Amino acid sequence: MSILKTQYEKDLYPEIADTIDEAGDFQRDLIEIAAERHARGEIDRRGFLTALAGIGALGMAGVPGGARAASGELVVVNWGGPAVEAYQTAFGEPFTAASGTKVVIDGTGPLLSKIRAMVESGAVTWDVCDTGAASTLVLEKAGVIQAIDYSVVDKSKVVLDYAYDYGIANYLFSYVLAYNEKALGKAPSSWADFWDTSGFGGMRTLRKQPNGMIEAAMFAAGKTTDEIYPIDLDLAMGKIKELRDSVIVWGSGSQSQELFRTGEVAMGNIWHTRANLLNRDMNGDVTWTWNEGIVTAGMWNIPNGNPAGTEAAMAFVASSQDPQQQVKLFELMGNGPANPAASEFVPEDRRWANPGQPENWAMQIKQDARWYQADSGKGDLTNDALARELYLDVMSG
Amino acid sequence: MTAVAEAIAPPRKRVRDRRALWGRLFALGFAWTVLGFLVLPMVIVIPVSVTDQYYLSLPKEGISFEHYAAFFEKEIWLAATFDSLVIAASATALAVLLGTLCAIGCWRLSSRAAEAVRLFMLLPIIVPVIVQALAIYRFWIDLGLIDTYLGTIIAHTLIALPYVIITVSAALTNVDPRTEQAARNLGASNAQAVRLVILPAVMPGVLSGALFAFTISFDEIVTVLFITSREVYTLPKRIWNGIQDHLDPTIAAVATMLMLLTLALLLIDLWFKRRRKARLAALEESSQ
Amino acid sequence: MPASLRFGYWLLIAPALGAMLIFYVWPLVQVLWLSVTEPYPGLQNYERMFESPAIGRIWWTTLEVCVLTTVVTVFLGYVVAYAMTIVGEGQRTGMMFCVLLSLWLSVLIRAFAWVMLLRGNGVINEGLMGIGLIDQPLRLVRNEIGVLIGMVHFMLPLAVLPIFANMTGIEARLISAARGLGASPGRALLLVFLPLSKPGIIAATILVFVFSLGFFITPALLGGGRVVMISEYIRVSFEETLRWGQATMLSTVLLVSVFLALGLVARVVDLRQVFGATR
Repeated sequence: MSILKTQYEKDLYPEIADTIDEAGDFQRDLIEIAAERHARGEIDRRGFLTALAGIGALGMAGVPGGARAASGELVVVNWGGPAVEAYQTAFGEPFTAASGTKVVIDGTGPLLSKIRAMVESGAVTWDVCDTGAASTLVLEKAGVIQAIDYSVVDKSKVVLDYAYDYGIANYLFSYVLAYNEKALGKAPSSWADFWDTSGFGGMRTLRKQPNGMIEAAMFAAGKTTDEIYPIDLDLAMGKIKELRDSVIVWGSGSQSQELFRTGEVAMGNIWHTRANLLNRDMNGDVTWTWNEGIVTAGMWNIPNGNPAGTEAAMAFVASSQDPQQQVKLFELMGNGPANPAASEFVPEDRRWANPGQPENWAMQIKQDARWYQADSGKGDLTNDALARELYLDVMSG
Repeated sequence: MTAVAEAIAPPRKRVRDRRALWGRLFALGFAWTVLGFLVLPMVIVIPVSVTDQYYLSLPKEGISFEHYAAFFEKEIWLAATFDSLVIAASATALAVLLGTLCAIGCWRLSSRAAEAVRLFMLLPIIVPVIVQALAIYRFWIDLGLIDTYLGTIIAHTLIALPYVIITVSAALTNVDPRTEQAARNLGASNAQAVRLVILPAVMPGVLSGALFAFTISFDEIVTVLFITSREVYTLPKRIWNGIQDHLDPTIAAVATMLMLLTLALLLIDLWFKRRRKARLAALEESSQ
Repeated sequence: MPASLRFGYWLLIAPALGAMLIFYVWPLVQVLWLSVTEPYPGLQNYERMFESPAIGRIWWTTLEVCVLTTVVTVFLGYVVAYAMTIVGEGQRTGMMFCVLLSLWLSVLIRAFAWVMLLRGNGVINEGLMGIGLIDQPLRLVRNEIGVLIGMVHFMLPLAVLPIFANMTGIEARLISAARGLGASPGRALLLVFLPLSKPGIIAATILVFVFSLGFFITPALLGGGRVVMISEYIRVSFEETLRWGQATMLSTVLLVSVFLALGLVARVVDLRQVFGATR
């Protein structure tokens, strides 16, 4: 419930309140992962701090109450925890070295409502915000962020589809079919297998929210990659209803991991970063397939009237497109580089775990944030809101 | 044996009715089974807390106190315990102060209006916790109290208040209003009468109320989930997140320690009550 | 009592009453008010109550769980309370101690203990599989069974205490009289004792039902997202889908239901005694 603090601001602006920051949940989860690894001694302190910098959480540790931009400073806000140091190492230090501008990572969380409140009150303290695809659309609609200057930022340095007018991908993450082959006796290869309760016994886990789950249900219903969107909610919910007696739901990333670790489930639709940790922790018993994975992106946004100025912020975003920097973040936190050119810098033995690696990328579908934010035609609900309501109804039935 | 028991179960020599005996045995067996169900989960936590495994299970090869050590070594647990202690102690002090005064006022006035006030003060027991949490959360935002110690303390004070009022009012029913009258006749002021006569008489009730208030605040989770985020991180919130995410045996160790604490508080409370009873009996005797 | 003295006593009441009004009642009123003003003024939120299939289902689940919990709890509580009246002082103290310990122990810890016991590889399943009684773990948690077990466990002390308090007040001579008139112990129990203990049963029933209605922690932890009761749905509407109008509408309905239930019962038993007896 860490998002509660600023929920009020969301409430103040119902039009943006409608969206849940999907990427935000994921980013918070990354931070948790890094903290765990640090605790286990898998990353040394330096590496940990590096990882933090990458996600941008240092502000939390170093600058209580959030960073404030001084002249010659650039404030990047992310979800805190280990991500602060990871972002600093991956993106901050190289940018400072090249431009002389100090980068401060603020881990207080770029809640949409907060961005909007800042812009409207004229007291903007952030230069670059680490949000998601859906958030970008919402903020764009609210008119509080700047259009990306594609004369500075290079559209070709990002995977197809994730260079929006008002935001650009900084990393990728996926919902994947993870499974414990040892427990199942064989490997499922598609969501149809996931839904096949006679062929694959035991419990499965799905997320508490429909996002990423309804796409899988569409696949299970026999739809092909280009038939997933627009999602037929009746069809998807019908499929989920079929499966629900074999489903345990996960709320947080660590919970999804725990369900596998304790053997309560043998299959699940979970984030690839968690599947990756499971793979390592359980000596390869748990693995995943990229086939029919649902990939989505974290995005950079620049608020109107940012303190360091448009130019510096755009320069930072452009600098962060550097494949080496993105690979650094991948090594530290597990999130996939958004720049397709980064795949060749990924160490060969880690390529299979990178959602953006061409062979993996080709097997997945790209989550359509635009569909989620579109009007559902029922009441005043967006597709996102409607899906949540229907999903809850099905799951609790 | 209570009066009812004697009436239902006739003297031993008259137990010819075997059915009554069997009925009695059956009722007792059933009751103890139900009580076993009540206590079972608490008992199981203890061996689990000394497991030698790194996940939640009964000890496999031997017992180990590493999970207790983990609690005392990890900053997150200690910091959470500290937060909980500070908040519970402050909320208890406030609730006891407000609640005792209020109970005394209502008792002394003993008018319809005062009676209504006393009933009204029970509101936090009646209102569903989620509704209460929502209301407080929303208002705390306006006051800027979200994620602050002060905000959490105020919320817990109100939630604990009814319990103090109940226990103090209960203790007051045994106090003769005339003793206070007498004190006043002897020249005591209003404040003196309360401080010197009434307060000592209701002390067991006050202490009992304080124990309640402390327990309630120390265990409170739902409101805390709403009104705190990072700065204030109480023990129940840590446990809550632990249960949701990663069932780590440290939680079993914490649970065992909390159980022992509860046990100690319960014993203290029983002792207060016993003492109060003894004192009343002595008073009665001396007045006869 | 002179007016000045009266005023003095009201001064003692004032701080508590004031705090309650400002920090509790006022926020409550404010939040309930939202139900007719969010997102725009009108009764549309209340209309949704009848239109949304999700809300209908959730009320149904809530009622089902509450009724089952209440019936089971009051029955078990009655047995325990009755046993407490027919045993000696020592045993009674022991019984009371179990009840009080359970009552005092954090609900969170209790829910945790049940999760630990009931889950797929929990203590109960491991034990049963260890002695070869079952070869597949039973599904005891993250479903309605788990929620029921946890709720009954939480509510049991709340049922035992008022029933027991009432039973100790029953005039023993009435039962003696019934026995003297030739009634068997069973008949005396059924025809005399049971009717006399009715106020205790009613108090316990209402208490358990009212508490179950707004229960949050146990269903959230033991239901595992699969048993969604009204409290949890209020949280989701409030926090996750950010539909404050709907959340506050449901809160209002919940609160009114609780007051109605209590109001009904106030005609039968003295509520002050009921709440006095809970702790």
